[in-house]
Amino acid sequence: MRDLVDQLRERLARVRQGGSERARAKHTARGKLLVRDRVDGLLDPGSPFLELSPLAAYGMYADGDDHAVPSAGIVTGIGTVHGRPVLVVANDATVKGGTYYPMTVKKHLRAQEVARAHRLPCVYLVDSGGAFLPMQDDVFPDRDHFGRIFFHQANLSAQGIPQLAAVMGSCTAGGAYVPAMSDETVIVRDQGTIFLGGPPLVKAATGEVVTAEELGGGEVHARTSGVVDHLADDDAHALRILRSVVDTLPRSAPPHAEPVVEPVEDPAGLYDVVPTDSRTPYDVREVIRRVVDASRFHEFKPLYAETLVTGFARIWGHEVGIVANNGILFSESARKGAHFVQLCNQRGIPLVFLQNISGFMVGKEYENAGIARDGAKLVTAVACSVVPKYTVVIGGSFGAGNYGMCGRAYDPRFLWMWPNARISVMGGEQAASVLATVAGREDDEDFKAPIRAQYEEQGSPYYSTARLWDDGVIDPADTRRVLGMALSLDTEPAPPPSYGVFRM
Amino acid sequence: MVANRGEIARRVFRTCRRMGLRTVAVHTDLDAEAPHVREADAALRVESYLDVEEMVAAAVAAGADAVHPGYGFLSERAAFATALEAAGVTLVGPTAAVMEQMGRKDAARELAVAAGVPVVPAYDLDDDPASWTFPVLVKAAAGGGGKGMRVVRSADGLAEAVAAARREAASAFGDDTLLVERYVERGRHVEVQVVGDTHGTVIHLGERDCSPQRRHQKVLEEAPAPTLDEATRQQVRQSAVDLAAHVGYTGAGTVELLLDADSGDFYFLEMNTRLQVEHPVTEMVTGLDLVELQLRVAAGEPLPVRQDDVRLTGHAIEARVYAEDAYAGFLPQAGTATHVRWPEGPGVRVDHALESGQVVSTAYDPMLGKVVAHGRDRAQARQRLVEALDGTAVLGLTTNAGFLRALAASEEFADAAVDTAWLDRHELPAPDPGEARRLAAWAAYDAGRTPSGPWRSDGFRLGGPPAEPVVHLDEPVRLAGPAPAGVVARVTDDHVEVVAHGQRFDFPRPDPFADPVAVAGDGTVLAPMPGTVLDVRVAEGDQVGAGQVLGVMEAMKMELSLTADVAGTVDLVGAAAGDRVQLGAVLFRVVPDE
Repeated sequence: MRDLVDQLRERLARVRQGGSERARAKHTARGKLLVRDRVDGLLDPGSPFLELSPLAAYGMYADGDDHAVPSAGIVTGIGTVHGRPVLVVANDATVKGGTYYPMTVKKHLRAQEVARAHRLPCVYLVDSGGAFLPMQDDVFPDRDHFGRIFFHQANLSAQGIPQLAAVMGSCTAGGAYVPAMSDETVIVRDQGTIFLGGPPLVKAATGEVVTAEELGGGEVHARTSGVVDHLADDDAHALRILRSVVDTLPRSAPPHAEPVVEPVEDPAGLYDVVPTDSRTPYDVREVIRRVVDASRFHEFKPLYAETLVTGFARIWGHEVGIVANNGILFSESARKGAHFVQLCNQRGIPLVFLQNISGFMVGKEYENAGIARDGAKLVTAVACSVVPKYTVVIGGSFGAGNYGMCGRAYDPRFLWMWPNARISVMGGEQAASVLATVAGREDDEDFKAPIRAQYEEQGSPYYSTARLWDDGVIDPADTRRVLGMALSLDTEPAPPPSYGVFRM
Repeated sequence: MVANRGEIARRVFRTCRRMGLRTVAVHTDLDAEAPHVREADAALRVESYLDVEEMVAAAVAAGADAVHPGYGFLSERAAFATALEAAGVTLVGPTAAVMEQMGRKDAARELAVAAGVPVVPAYDLDDDPASWTFPVLVKAAAGGGGKGMRVVRSADGLAEAVAAARREAASAFGDDTLLVERYVERGRHVEVQVVGDTHGTVIHLGERDCSPQRRHQKVLEEAPAPTLDEATRQQVRQSAVDLAAHVGYTGAGTVELLLDADSGDFYFLEMNTRLQVEHPVTEMVTGLDLVELQLRVAAGEPLPVRQDDVRLTGHAIEARVYAEDAYAGFLPQAGTATHVRWPEGPGVRVDHALESGQVVSTAYDPMLGKVVAHGRDRAQARQRLVEALDGTAVLGLTTNAGFLRALAASEEFADAAVDTAWLDRHELPAPDPGEARRLAAWAAYDAGRTPSGPWRSDGFRLGGPPAEPVVHLDEPVRLAGPAPAGVVARVTDDHVEVVAHGQRFDFPRPDPFADPVAVAGDGTVLAPMPGTVLDVRVAEGDQVGAGQVLGVMEAMKMELSLTADVAGTVDLVGAAAGDRVQLGAVLFRVVPDE
């Protein structure tokens, strides 16, 4: 596990540098701050930063260069400004000019979703050339493409979630709407520009020759067009203005928390208690004890259906219901889970899923007994949950187990993966066998090997996090911290629970 | 009753309480809430600490048996001693006659000569200056504290110096008599503490060295004197006892001597007929309470110690903490001391009268307190003094504690090489704000940080090292390493005030809206509204300053002044009075100065 964590740290350290050395040098030579320095400058000194999907686009968009588009060219996450959490979306202009790849768009939209769920003020630090034109078909037209950013901005603002922007570089075409649709906007003089069509396009369209500054520079927008509200001297000044704006926003009370008691068991012990091979069984309570306050776990139905562990605990003083796999799911495990999920909804207690599931039990006996019926009950209960849900994939995430244990499709507030996690519809070996059987080539290694290789690659947590199937790969020792950060964010009071038809 | 204020009033009360004496304080309106008033058993209001009649009346009204005059104010005013005697109140001090004699420098000098104490060669102002050995010191006969003093290096500057000294002497002391004497270029100020009783006994309590002075005001004082050889030390002490015995001195007094650092000769300077500011260093090396000795002598008792009983142990150094900016011409400072921390520690004594929240005015002596350190030897005393001054912190106004700390820590002071004029010849380097800025940044960070919970300010980053906090003051400060402990700071939205090594610093915090960034700064003045130009006040080619009104226009029934946003030359005047102009019309253009 330590090797896996070291590998994770290495990859994170790489993407935190941003674009190429040349691009960064060029960027800073213009007096601009690097994207993560901008984020740090916006946030309180020493603020934690819960970065979302820092390894987005990892291994994508270029053969042989896993870091072709580090962090998908956009930094998103949550940190504090004047002590209150805000959501930051910051373009990295050192990565292909901050243009939007498909994963950039997905990451931007995901950040806005997180903001909506937690009513977090959004701060956009804009420095982007707009859509990455060669991939416009995967960026522009669909429902969850570029236009959705502004759809979100309008609707978040409508819900009273402040939308703030600083224009710290170019903001062209569609990008111009990020500041324009914000509630309050800052621009950096002689650096930020906003226009629907840049000078080359203007010249092509109307023959007018105009400089970028004349067309849509800070002076123009602060004095003449009114597109922005504040004019800043430089990046640092712009960030200070934004901080001041955030300070003027009305505050809401954070959720109630009991006094925090650190776990008795050191979270770093997770490196040793969790085997990296997901096929090796271990007791998931060892994980729970290293995540929850005082290592205290009030277990529910400890003697019944032991492959699913359920119970109550506190994390950073917040009461949670924990659902954790401790083997494959049987009918009674699924029913126990459904019961427990209903219980938490009844009591308004957030749910934490610790996912390590190879799937539901298969075979004639189980099918005939109606395991699908019981699996459906769990899936229904999870799908219709009204309390906040949080999922950590601490091992395997296979098949319908992913559904019952609150996979991405079930809208957990956050979903994180450990570096040892695996995710796919079934295991590579099983998939190879199934496909070989269907094709009548059971014993053909040449047939099965590429299938196994494909599942091996696509089941990796890095393959997942690159595609925004999760909110990030985390160091297991940070599990308690990130869950605590998530649980401490605002949540709206849950409506009374109601469920679809449970198949009895 | 103590006819004084501040730390010395508190100091005297402290001994009185220990001796079981009831105490009376006096105070002006300004001092109604002062610490010395609270500590006395009774308090009386006076108009001024300098009014003899009023002070005597207060003593009588309070039923005081004795009056301790402290130092300064009326402490060496013979008229006060006389008036108290007439009112039947005992003065804790010598007789009016001795005070009178010693108060006049010319008379004192004659007494010294009579007692066999060497005096500085003096000259008569009526003599031919060509026969003098320059440099000479011209000083007021009635004076003290550096007022009416002039060093003259040649006959040429004499007339002017005499005239100036006369003016100062007249205004400060009401007496413009001047003395001229040889000026010792590298002198050390050595003084001997003497005590006499009414039974004819005079003893000394060792000597002090108060050479570190700035403009004749003592800065650091120590006991015993560090540069004397044993023979000189004995001579110095004996001379002082001889002089005191010669005049029949009673109570505590100080014989001040000038020691020529080059020749080792010493000369009588003056005798102070009161308790000195720096008496604590003597108390710390002798273990005696000088105020107690004063009170016993005043009560007619014989001295409880004989000369042979007096034993000096270790070394003590005192630093005078003043409300002044030592790095800006020693400018007196006033204001509210929002936070005061006096040091504590082994061998450390602080006599002060300044507490948090107290207002310091320029109406009285700017001394806030004295930090004294005692050690087994000079090195340890000095080390303790430096540490004590490090722990001294006053916020709200600037003090010289940082300067004292730097001086005490300097190589020159360590080598006892600071003569009386050293500080006038040398400037201590201004303190480096770097360390203070770091402390201020930590204080600002601390004030704004989230102390606990999962969102606590620990710079958490996923799978990476925590981010180091950066705090913006006058420049950005990256906070690394462990947080400093015991920082005294006041953090507001705009400023961080902090004390580092005794020195107060005030760092501004950037205000995003303070800087009028909205000024274009290119010198073009546009019509802010459509309207009529009423007045054009400049012509092309005129020099204008930033903010100067170039013209006036009327729009929407309002008059608007059109001002230059930069200093420079008017390059273009785009409209004349009476013109109607459109929004955004270029009315003036100023080419900024290079």
